[in-house]
Amino acid sequence: MIEFSDVGLRYGNGPEILKDLTFSIEPGSFHFLTGPSGAGKTSLLRLLLLSLKPSRGRVTMFDEDVSSLTQDRLLQMRRHIGIVFQEFRLLDHLTTFENVALPLRVLGQPESEYRPNVTELLEWVGLGERMDAPPSLLSGGEKQRAAIARAVIARPKVLLADEPTGNVDPELSSRLVHLFAELNRTLGTTIILATHELPLLDQFPYPRMLLSKGELVIHD
Amino acid sequence: MIERFLALIPRRVGGAAPIVPERSVAGRTLLLMITIMSFLSAVTLGGVVLVQKSAIAWSSDVGREVTIQIRPVQGEVMESNLRTAVSLAQATPGVSGARALTLEESQKLLEPWLGAGLDLTAIEVPRLVVVQLADPVDADIEKLGRDLEAVKGASLDTHAAWRQQLNTMAGTIVFSGLMILALIGLATMLAIIFATRGAMATNREIVDVLHYIGASNKFIAGEFQGRFLSIGLQGGLLGAVAAVLFFMLIGTAAGNMLSNQASAQFGVLFGRFALGWDGMFGIILVVPAIAALTAVTSRHTVRRYLSQTS
Repeated sequence: MIEFSDVGLRYGNGPEILKDLTFSIEPGSFHFLTGPSGAGKTSLLRLLLLSLKPSRGRVTMFDEDVSSLTQDRLLQMRRHIGIVFQEFRLLDHLTTFENVALPLRVLGQPESEYRPNVTELLEWVGLGERMDAPPSLLSGGEKQRAAIARAVIARPKVLLADEPTGNVDPELSSRLVHLFAELNRTLGTTIILATHELPLLDQFPYPRMLLSKGELVIHD
Repeated sequence: MIERFLALIPRRVGGAAPIVPERSVAGRTLLLMITIMSFLSAVTLGGVVLVQKSAIAWSSDVGREVTIQIRPVQGEVMESNLRTAVSLAQATPGVSGARALTLEESQKLLEPWLGAGLDLTAIEVPRLVVVQLADPVDADIEKLGRDLEAVKGASLDTHAAWRQQLNTMAGTIVFSGLMILALIGLATMLAIIFATRGAMATNREIVDVLHYIGASNKFIAGEFQGRFLSIGLQGGLLGAVAAVLFFMLIGTAAGNMLSNQASAQFGVLFGRFALGWDGMFGIILVVPAIAALTAVTSRHTVRRYLSQTS
């Protein structure tokens, strides 16, 4: 599904942030992406999100070389990729329901069509009672569950999560990763979850990609 | 009150909340700016319509009349010459009537310069024949001019120089008004460009999130355009309503401040501050024009901004 071959990345004329990355991700798998701060986790996620192009090497996603994609095709492929951020990035002037429904609105679905799906998903992530609340009234854990729901509502093939547990306590972190695991199991979504919390990794049996100084040290 | 009025304007079809927030500092500033610009546009347009209507009315009034002046000439009998001139005028095609002003009427015309109460019988003053034209276009004024050559001391004044000067002046005012309208339009466009870029920078987070969830630049531009179209419609409507109220107020004030006689004279010279249906229609047209200008300018600016930043 995703293949990196000798991929390098640099910003402008600066030093290489990512070096010689070679790995593949199978459909329906769950990977932890870990490493110390500044190791290049976010840059790698941005490559996977197709918001950056590699400086060298070859990236293949969904059997297509991303370097030769047109802008329209890039946009179509991005719709198969969901993203969850550490800082949630929910829109404060919209309700929780409207935030989660946003990807479906972008796809042009009418509200009558997406309302049952969004409601069902919000209930599934435990926000059934908080649908009409604005994000400012949600707790950290609720915000992150809303962000996860928004990332998966359009059924992406790949879900990327950039330090999704960074703003919540350890107990809630564990529950959030369980939620990702559940999504992986029930929907078959491929998940790449970046985190630097090693104790959290030990609770789950998923393979790890360890980045250090831009190089992939471990990929098991 | 304004908030209640704005609430009456439909903002969006369908129930979903707008992705771009409706209330923001940039939005309020833009609304105020567009209201002012549309008010200025509507007042300028109304002024142009008033000037043009007055000029047409005045020119038409003056054009329906020519004057024959008969100067006193030694050896000529004035009354006989007046009768000849009147009969020549009446015989001219397109003339509906001709009348010689009496001596008293002629003296009255001189009162503003010579004062009242003077006995002018000792002085021979030029006499006038007022000729009314049924149709200024078809009247054979040239023939009348040729015929009057037979009357010694007679000359024909068609007021052509006055009319030409009036038309030139009115044309200059109309042209200046249209230039001002064009400049207001240009200033509005520039202000919208700056306001749009400001709004985009303020809403950068929304643009980023939309990009991350797979929204195209076209979709994002459409969302912002919808917001700016709404602001343009509201601002255009408020400005146009203010302009209509302004003309009503000025019309009423002009009527109340001047005496009936002065008001009538003022009206004859400068026209009345009544826009009429054509003027109102012009002002109403300002609303969609401003809204379209806002929508098109903001869409172009948003797409340019997105192509630069994405």
